[in-house]
Amino acid sequence: MSATISLSPVTRIEGHLAIHAETEPVGPDSGAHRVTSARCQGEMFRGIEQILVGRDPLDSQQIAQRICGVCPISHGMASVRAQEMAYGIKPNHNGRLLQNLIWAANYLQSHVLHFYHLAALDFVDVTALLKYEGRNRLLRDLRGWVERAFASKDILPAAPFLPRYEADYVKGLGNNLALLAHYVEALEVRRTCHEMAAVFGARVPHSTALFPGGCTQVPSMDRILEYSSRLKRIDRFIHDVFLPDLLRVAGEFPGYFEMGRGCGNFLCFGVFEMDERDNRFFMPGTLIDGQWAALDEQGISEDVGYSRFAQASGLHPRDGLTQPDPNKQQAYSWVKAPRYRGHVMEVGALARVLVNYHAPQANWVRSEVDAFLAQVKLPAEKLVSVLGRHVARGLEASWIAKQAARWLSEVEVDGPPAAEFQICQQGSGYGLVEAPRGALGHWLAIENYRIARYQCIVPTTWNCSPRDDRGQPGAVEQALQGTQVADPKQPIEVGRIVRSFDPCLACAIH
Amino acid sequence: MSNVTRRDFLRYGTALASATGLSGAYPEIFAQGLESVGTGRTKVAWLEAMSCTGCSVSFLNTENPGPLEVVTEVISLVYHGTVGAAQGEDCFKVLDTVTEQSQFVLVVEGAIPEKMPEACAIGERPLNTLLVPMLRKAKAVLAAGTCAAFGGVPAAEGNITGATSVQNFMKSQGIPTEGRLVNCPGCPVHPESLVGTIAYLASKGCPPLDPQLLAPKMFYSNSVHDECPRFHYWEKQEFAKQLGDPGCLFELGCLGPLSHTGCPRHQWNGGVNWCIRAGAPCIACTSQQFASLRSFPFYRKHETVVPLAART
Repeated sequence: MSATISLSPVTRIEGHLAIHAETEPVGPDSGAHRVTSARCQGEMFRGIEQILVGRDPLDSQQIAQRICGVCPISHGMASVRAQEMAYGIKPNHNGRLLQNLIWAANYLQSHVLHFYHLAALDFVDVTALLKYEGRNRLLRDLRGWVERAFASKDILPAAPFLPRYEADYVKGLGNNLALLAHYVEALEVRRTCHEMAAVFGARVPHSTALFPGGCTQVPSMDRILEYSSRLKRIDRFIHDVFLPDLLRVAGEFPGYFEMGRGCGNFLCFGVFEMDERDNRFFMPGTLIDGQWAALDEQGISEDVGYSRFAQASGLHPRDGLTQPDPNKQQAYSWVKAPRYRGHVMEVGALARVLVNYHAPQANWVRSEVDAFLAQVKLPAEKLVSVLGRHVARGLEASWIAKQAARWLSEVEVDGPPAAEFQICQQGSGYGLVEAPRGALGHWLAIENYRIARYQCIVPTTWNCSPRDDRGQPGAVEQALQGTQVADPKQPIEVGRIVRSFDPCLACAIH
Repeated sequence: MSNVTRRDFLRYGTALASATGLSGAYPEIFAQGLESVGTGRTKVAWLEAMSCTGCSVSFLNTENPGPLEVVTEVISLVYHGTVGAAQGEDCFKVLDTVTEQSQFVLVVEGAIPEKMPEACAIGERPLNTLLVPMLRKAKAVLAAGTCAAFGGVPAAEGNITGATSVQNFMKSQGIPTEGRLVNCPGCPVHPESLVGTIAYLASKGCPPLDPQLLAPKMFYSNSVHDECPRFHYWEKQEFAKQLGDPGCLFELGCLGPLSHTGCPRHQWNGGVNWCIRAGAPCIACTSQQFASLRSFPFYRKHETVVPLAART
């Protein structure tokens, strides 16, 4: 008999999301169910775009950062790029490098946070602590904490690590204990990444130092050392801990290289300017039905047939509107449904990797990915999966850490940190960049020195979109189709697939 | 301090008096919090309303104690949607259990969609409905961040959700706030102010509050301007003209006199930097009117190009 599986709310992601999946039994004697269709419901709307209208354009790099506290730098930078286009300026030499360095630090923070503190509890068995017999003080202390929690007959013992779904966690004791110890170490690592972002960004979340043309922090030698010393520690963690842990989890759950494949189309706006000519570390492009093509900004539009908005469907974001209709018939989400030339697209680290991997010119991404795949004996097509998305984030973190050291070496010590600019009376611009979670666009129009229009299409708007007006399910909705769920009351498989996209709902809806 | 315009602000910028001094209680708080180890730590449930999760991320940035120490030794964090293992229906079992059976502190991050309740739900339960019994039953309510404390960006001019602060929402629901509600503003909240306040609530109860801000006096008494390391430039009237210049940041738009916070002492992100040190004007992210008015932009760049008559 068909049944509905609910994961409502989805936790350990950013923001407010509920998932409902229609399922059918796998077989007459099995308790397992298979997902036939799924719905992603975004549950929180603030209307940041309307709040921006009528304001000083320079307010936007601050207000837009409040779209997301996990990836504020990316929103700040999308606003900065849109303003730079409107003002007709580019960052100066230091400005470009310092923006990249602040941004890179936020990427590293976000990827470490996502794997260890959001996703890992779907795989790691916290109760393995009770079996720990070794002499590591941290693990002994944590075991004692869990034991005391149970002995005290607390109504909610060992929170916030319990309650959890009872499911197929990592089986090897050594792997569990290593992952638990690294969960703790990663708390410090992600905080250190934030310190790096603050070295040039003043503070994070919500950097006050970002401006069109660069940033406010003059790169003195002590600032550069503060960054580089931390970067070395982070780089070691990525190579010695993060990448091995990804392989540890992959080794225990090889089936997740087959699960959550999704729509198979990928979109990348490109990110990290390498020079004045807009060459980027990750180049923009699209991959549709396996075919690479250059990005066409005009190809983007948003449908709202199943979204809680009253405006027309199919608008390009330059003309986009946000008119809430909270009780709209048929609508089941606050997320709009962006499409690229009508296609459902997946965005994120995997999209950056695959779009660059399949680009026509030979490039460093292809050689790095080929080397990795050869090392772990994995065919490239397996990357389009739950584990592939995790691996893509880990690889990307290692590349960004390496590149950040190069950017740091190119900084002109004590040189001006920003280009000069003037706010324009009329103008428009857009910032197409990449957040850790994927392709991010801000579209801005200025009239009489004020923001006349502001629209954002955010990575999770693409990934967690509801159906579009043609009825095509969004990327996560498609990734859930066909998933076998062992226990419909504890659908851990659904959570693992959804989290592999690193959703951010405050971003998606804004 | 509400409804100050940029012009008002410029007029009396120099005349702003400093508030009362900082209590020296800060280090003792942790000692008190840690004493409760093993004697039943205070349960804390953390709900995200209309938020960006920036305050949760800022909480994870707490350094001494670190986040793991806070949740294993200072408090019992029974619910947190971004870090907790619980998912799906289990979340409501946890929230119902803690609301019915226990003394707890409720942390709210984000503003409340008072006029458009459909604008925020957790697991399809409207946030406002979920919050009311918890706000009533909690032994204390901590509004973490400027959105929860004062409305912040979601409640700024032009908002279409009727977003409001926890304080206004409690008042409209007839829920007492006196001695129960503590604001910890900041966009995001500073981890030391937040964790210090949580530890105080867990061990000693409601801290002494600033009567206007309802924020702990120990963290929110002095303004950025009062303790600004660039204050000497202000006294000499030496102003930064461009980003990266030395000098007082006032002419670039600095709102230090409006922002009551411990930033000059704590700095940010492990003390590695903070806004003023980085040459970034203070945007008064802890103030009651943070981001609230279109006519009061963060920066003064527009004054170099926009004729006065065109500024609204």
